[in-house]
Amino acid sequence: MNPGDAFPELAAAWLRDGREWSEAEFERRALELYAYQVERNEAYARFAASLGFSKARAPQSWRTIPAVPSSAFKDATLTTFPARDAELVFHTSGTTAGRAGKHYVQRAALYDASLLAAFDRFMLTDRPRLRFLNLVPNPRFNPHSSLGYMLGHAGVLRGEGPPAYFLDGDALDVAGFSAALETACAQNRAVLIATTAFALATLLDTLEAQGRAFAAPAGSRVMETGGFKGRAKVVAREELYARAAAALGIAQSAIVAEYGMTELLSQFYDTPASRGTAVRVKAGPPWLRTLVVDAAGNEVSPGTTGFLRHVDLANVSSVLAIDTEDRGYAVDGGFVLLGRDLDAPPRGCSLDAEELRARVAS
Amino acid sequence: MSGVPDGAALAAARIVDAVADAAERWTDADLPARVRATRAIVQRTGYTEPVVDFALDALFGGLTRDALRATITGELGSLAALDGFVARAGRPDVHFRGVERVAIVSSDTTVGVAIPALVYALCAKADTVVVKDRNDGLVAAFAETIAEERPELGARTRIERWEGHDAPQARAALQTSDVVVAFGGATALRAIRDLLHPEARFVPFGHRTSVAYVTREALDRAARDSAYAREIAFGIARDALLYDGEGCLSLHAVFVERDGALDPVRFDGLLGDALEAVAVEFPASSAEPAAPGAAFAREARFRAAQGRGSVRGGLTAPHLLVAGAPLDDPPPLLPRTLASYTVDGPADVANYLRAHAVPVEAFAVASVDGTIERPDVLALALACGAVRLCAAGAAQLPSLSGEHGGTPRILPFVRAIVRDRDSR
Repeated sequence: MNPGDAFPELAAAWLRDGREWSEAEFERRALELYAYQVERNEAYARFAASLGFSKARAPQSWRTIPAVPSSAFKDATLTTFPARDAELVFHTSGTTAGRAGKHYVQRAALYDASLLAAFDRFMLTDRPRLRFLNLVPNPRFNPHSSLGYMLGHAGVLRGEGPPAYFLDGDALDVAGFSAALETACAQNRAVLIATTAFALATLLDTLEAQGRAFAAPAGSRVMETGGFKGRAKVVAREELYARAAAALGIAQSAIVAEYGMTELLSQFYDTPASRGTAVRVKAGPPWLRTLVVDAAGNEVSPGTTGFLRHVDLANVSSVLAIDTEDRGYAVDGGFVLLGRDLDAPPRGCSLDAEELRARVAS
Repeated sequence: MSGVPDGAALAAARIVDAVADAAERWTDADLPARVRATRAIVQRTGYTEPVVDFALDALFGGLTRDALRATITGELGSLAALDGFVARAGRPDVHFRGVERVAIVSSDTTVGVAIPALVYALCAKADTVVVKDRNDGLVAAFAETIAEERPELGARTRIERWEGHDAPQARAALQTSDVVVAFGGATALRAIRDLLHPEARFVPFGHRTSVAYVTREALDRAARDSAYAREIAFGIARDALLYDGEGCLSLHAVFVERDGALDPVRFDGLLGDALEAVAVEFPASSAEPAAPGAAFAREARFRAAQGRGSVRGGLTAPHLLVAGAPLDDPPPLLPRTLASYTVDGPADVANYLRAHAVPVEAFAVASVDGTIERPDVLALALACGAVRLCAAGAAQLPSLSGEHGGTPRILPFVRAIVRDRDSR
């Protein structure tokens, strides 16, 4: 049986009752999924074997399930099924040479169930109908963007009317966005502004230059995602949110950072209790857990900074455990995301990777 | 400066003598000033003592009288041209007169990088201020030794701490200098350049990286001569690991040609062994694997599990070799990390360096006799923008009588004053 078949009902149940999974429940499901995947996913099985795992020597805990690096999606086809049968294919961001990874998703219904459950739980707790003003890729023109798909899907099913898009490549339609927000204000219709951090910063630059500010209707909110990966200009989150609150008339506590990856079919969000605070804690649905590990891959104690390793049981048809380059530390109820740029640059005259990226970008 | 003779009156030959004598004293590892400086560098940079000793031996061992004279003569025609007009065949007489003020800014931790520039600025008889990392006592200590040789030269030298380009002292030094030599990243260099007098000469040395190339002819010889094979592997390993791979001469990528008698996979094995040996001779500043390399190592381990390439070190050792790395990915510009790429020939490398916009400082070649005998490899080295071509194993031993970073040594510090013979 395909473990994905039961997933939509699991997600719906959590949405209904909010019951968190016990360690034992997560463990059982994770180990079952691991066994299913190494049986069918040859590339993953080879990787697990290289770490000494086999049928006779399987991981004993979800914490020791072999995690592939997120880059593995560009180095191999990671599927439990023939890739040609995928209902969805998402592309990861490429490197300087443009080599992108592909995440093949066997069943769209599974992704839909996973993303909607968490979106409803973390973004639409009060079940409002909001107008979606999206500063993210339009899925119609970017069919391989997992972010575009996610917000397109959520917008269609949960929005008041079809979602509107104001981002085309790197070009932001600030005038169109302003007009849409102005209309919503005039009609007193709450909005959900879904945006990458970079698009939000660009929007705010323009609004501030125009001396323009809005008072978004009550219940409006912002979902910020994506950080500043690959961008020359980086704005501190606190500064970004303060400026967004001032320009959009949306309280900082209603600005929620989502953290997701193309390689995962589930997402993390700021916990409600940490919104509006200096240290935001990320949490996700019960089928998504995170370990913080050191450079050698060993779990570190809570509060210690390390690399984030995500175990996502919605990743039924690919690989459930993913090692990332993102850093953070574990806290009660989740983890704090610190980003990637924590390492001091080289001390000598050697070029570093960031400088090389800047050269390529220029 | 009262009571001290004017350094400008010193003949260039005497300045060269003083500098060379001072440098010779510093070649003695037991010189108290060097012992103190070594200890301070170890503390400041974290580099281990063998690494610092290697750097100081290379630096001061290269500042010989002959090397200084050869460099100046090569660039200016003669030492005497620094003291007054000299005749030139078919051209007007010339006097290479030193500029009045030189500032040398070095905020990176590369050991002694400002010293050659200081030496040549002094030879040009310029008042020189070195603005350096706050904890870097090496330049000041060596300047003291020069002053002991010739107090006039001490009076011409000032050492200041680098507190950022916005600090008042740095601003003043930069704004009033005729020539500013700066070592640093693009942001720092841009900020420094913006402060300069419009007519000031700016000599920037930005961050770059270095690569090595192993020809199939070298692999043919390596297959017959195991000592030679180990020698080139060790040389590349040393070029990669010295200074924790943080210098612009540090190798981060080595390209190994296919179709040599020694298979690239076997050469990579030798390279892995060599890295382990070098790590013993020149220990890392930290015994722990470097966090920045962890993600790169994990990626490589996954590929290796799929039968593509191999990995040595990384998770338990403070150095990492990724063999058979994909040419689609940029080089790992990470401490003590080397990627080996198997290539068909120079065209692959040219495409790679262009695709990833890699600014190459040194192009090191493992060839049969240490020179670049193959025209296509030489063409690659020139086309990729490298400013230094050398044998594998010599990347970290730049000749101080050669140009640095594509720039002459003393020419930036002088003005050429010509005297037409007809007007005498």
